[in-house]
Amino acid sequence: MGKDLIQKSLKDSLFTGIIALALFGPIVGLRTVAKNEVLVVEPKWFIVLLIVAFCAIGRFFINIYSYKKEQRRGEPSSLGKAISNFLDEKGAQIAIAAIAFSIIFPFMPFADRYWMDIAIMMMTYIMLGWGLNIVIGLAGLLDLGYVAFYAVGAYSYALFAIHFGWSFWICLPIAGLFAGMFGILLGFPVLRLRGDYLAIVTLAFGEMIRILLLNWYELTKGPDGLTGIPRPSFFGLPFKRYPDEGVETFHTFFGLEYDPMQRIIFLYYLILVLALITNAFTIKIRRLPVGRAWEALREDEIACKSLGVNPRNTKLTAFAIGAMFGGFAGSFFATRQAFISPESFTFIESAIIVAIVVLGGMGSQTGVVLSTIFLIGLIEVFRDFESYRMVAFGGAMVLIMIFRPRGILAKRKPTITMGKHG
Amino acid sequence: MSETLLDVQNLTMKFGGLIAIDDLSFSAKKDHITSIIGPNGAGKTTVFNCLTGFYKATAGSMYLSKNNNKMDLKKFSDFKVAQKAGVARTFQNIRLFPQMSVLENMMVAQHNKLMTASGFSILGLINSKSYLQKEKEAMEISKYWLDIIGLTNRADDNAGDLPYGDQRKLEIVRAMCIEPHLLCLDEPAAGLNAKESAELNKLLKFIKNDKKTGILLIEHDMSVVMGISDHVVVLNYGKKIFEGTAKQTKNSPEVIEAYLGTED
Repeated sequence: MGKDLIQKSLKDSLFTGIIALALFGPIVGLRTVAKNEVLVVEPKWFIVLLIVAFCAIGRFFINIYSYKKEQRRGEPSSLGKAISNFLDEKGAQIAIAAIAFSIIFPFMPFADRYWMDIAIMMMTYIMLGWGLNIVIGLAGLLDLGYVAFYAVGAYSYALFAIHFGWSFWICLPIAGLFAGMFGILLGFPVLRLRGDYLAIVTLAFGEMIRILLLNWYELTKGPDGLTGIPRPSFFGLPFKRYPDEGVETFHTFFGLEYDPMQRIIFLYYLILVLALITNAFTIKIRRLPVGRAWEALREDEIACKSLGVNPRNTKLTAFAIGAMFGGFAGSFFATRQAFISPESFTFIESAIIVAIVVLGGMGSQTGVVLSTIFLIGLIEVFRDFESYRMVAFGGAMVLIMIFRPRGILAKRKPTITMGKHG
Repeated sequence: MSETLLDVQNLTMKFGGLIAIDDLSFSAKKDHITSIIGPNGAGKTTVFNCLTGFYKATAGSMYLSKNNNKMDLKKFSDFKVAQKAGVARTFQNIRLFPQMSVLENMMVAQHNKLMTASGFSILGLINSKSYLQKEKEAMEISKYWLDIIGLTNRADDNAGDLPYGDQRKLEIVRAMCIEPHLLCLDEPAAGLNAKESAELNKLLKFIKNDKKTGILLIEHDMSVVMGISDHVVVLNYGKKIFEGTAKQTKNSPEVIEAYLGTED
């Protein structure tokens, strides 16, 4: 410590103050007010002064604090590390506890319609995150257009269900298949691309699908969207208060009172099961040759080629399988909403899913869950603050990147160990 | 005399106007270590890249004798050279999968075999016995090679965390996991200390003698080249300037000239 540090910090905080003044001066300080039907600039210098002072003083203390932290360097004290160690040791128990909690969640006293809706939404994002984790986390292909497959799944489910009247359980695999095919369709042209270039092309692909949906009016009804998508039934038993003549419903079959929550709870379990299937599949396939080839491809494509691994097939399977789960999630989304339009499949959705995967720690299944709870939960908590929601969202991302630059759970477990087999 | 494994005739590689390899012919024998040496920029690595399918040669032929039939290496593009023809290679700057464990590195090398065994993942997903059996065999092979280079106790550590010398050795045995007929090593001794170099010599001799795998070696470290090569090909500016045994090479005036220049 000493004079030198304080002097440096003061200089630094002064500089921060100047930047803050330059930024906030025009944005916050100059406000236009309508007076006598003319716009007049009304300066608000006091608020600007407060913000600038806050930035400068904050910067000063951060400097002092980080100096102290530097002194303590060497001690493993980071909270994130402790969390990831804890998760490593108790991983299995925590997973079981989390699954048990998700199962009993709908019967918790506080689980009203609002909480159930949030839970369903989070579960959908978790499933999408797990699906995209195959593409980004395992195969290392930065896909910014994942929402396209979500859209393809949703629209193919909706179209098959509306036009052919097929049930959810028939349309679901078809939707997955269609999305998987689109995954391969995207995969072919981008086989040779890597990194930033791949990201741009996938981004464009996502937009192309959205614009296609918007303009192919005969099929998709364009911006009007598709309405009247059949609700899912409980293995043939619909959730309806007043069933059609001679049709048994869920509540009459089980002799229950009709309650709209029954359908919500069913939807919750549906997405829970779909998400858990995605997770189990990913965990399993990661340990198979194809899963190891994905990770090897992420690490070094040239080395893969030199070992005879076919990079084309390996990439295409990653795209196809990732897209398939996106398609499953999409068909769930369609049946839950009963109405879909291109509005729901904008780039921001892709960005959120990518953020979930990256912030969770690439390739980490648990990380996806934690970052979903964190990010989506935060967006929900800040719902009442409207435009500050996105500020909180961005802030959360920045915080994670500062404290856990490689994601919440960055540690990777080997897919196969010598210890186990001797 | 052992039979010819690799036969390269009139190989030429041009990058635009630059001729990287100029009408190069040489052959490598089975159970031989054939070294390719030459000053920097002589085109050694380009020869490797042509052989292993990373580049498409402009002209010439490359034939690999495999179980008494000749395979045209030019027919195979990149990964197929390793998959179908059994030509494995390592790289000048080590290319391991650093974030994956040592054992996983070895398993990826056995990908094609395991992929078939896993029924393109379908049999693997349902834990079929035949797949588990094959996976166990692959583990045994990995363990066999890791025992040889003394890395079995580090099998579950990340490959990127190994010391440099161990990474070199790991890359070589990983290439051996594809059960190649020809192993191409691009400067395996670069950056190794004397002790590690000696260990490398031992490993390469073992591969040559016990595994009956032909080795093609690019190397600058003359103690390695002279110590283990059965045959040396010297390149300069893409042309072959000398070919012979290690001893002949050492005394060849052309080679000395290429490395040290001529007296005025």
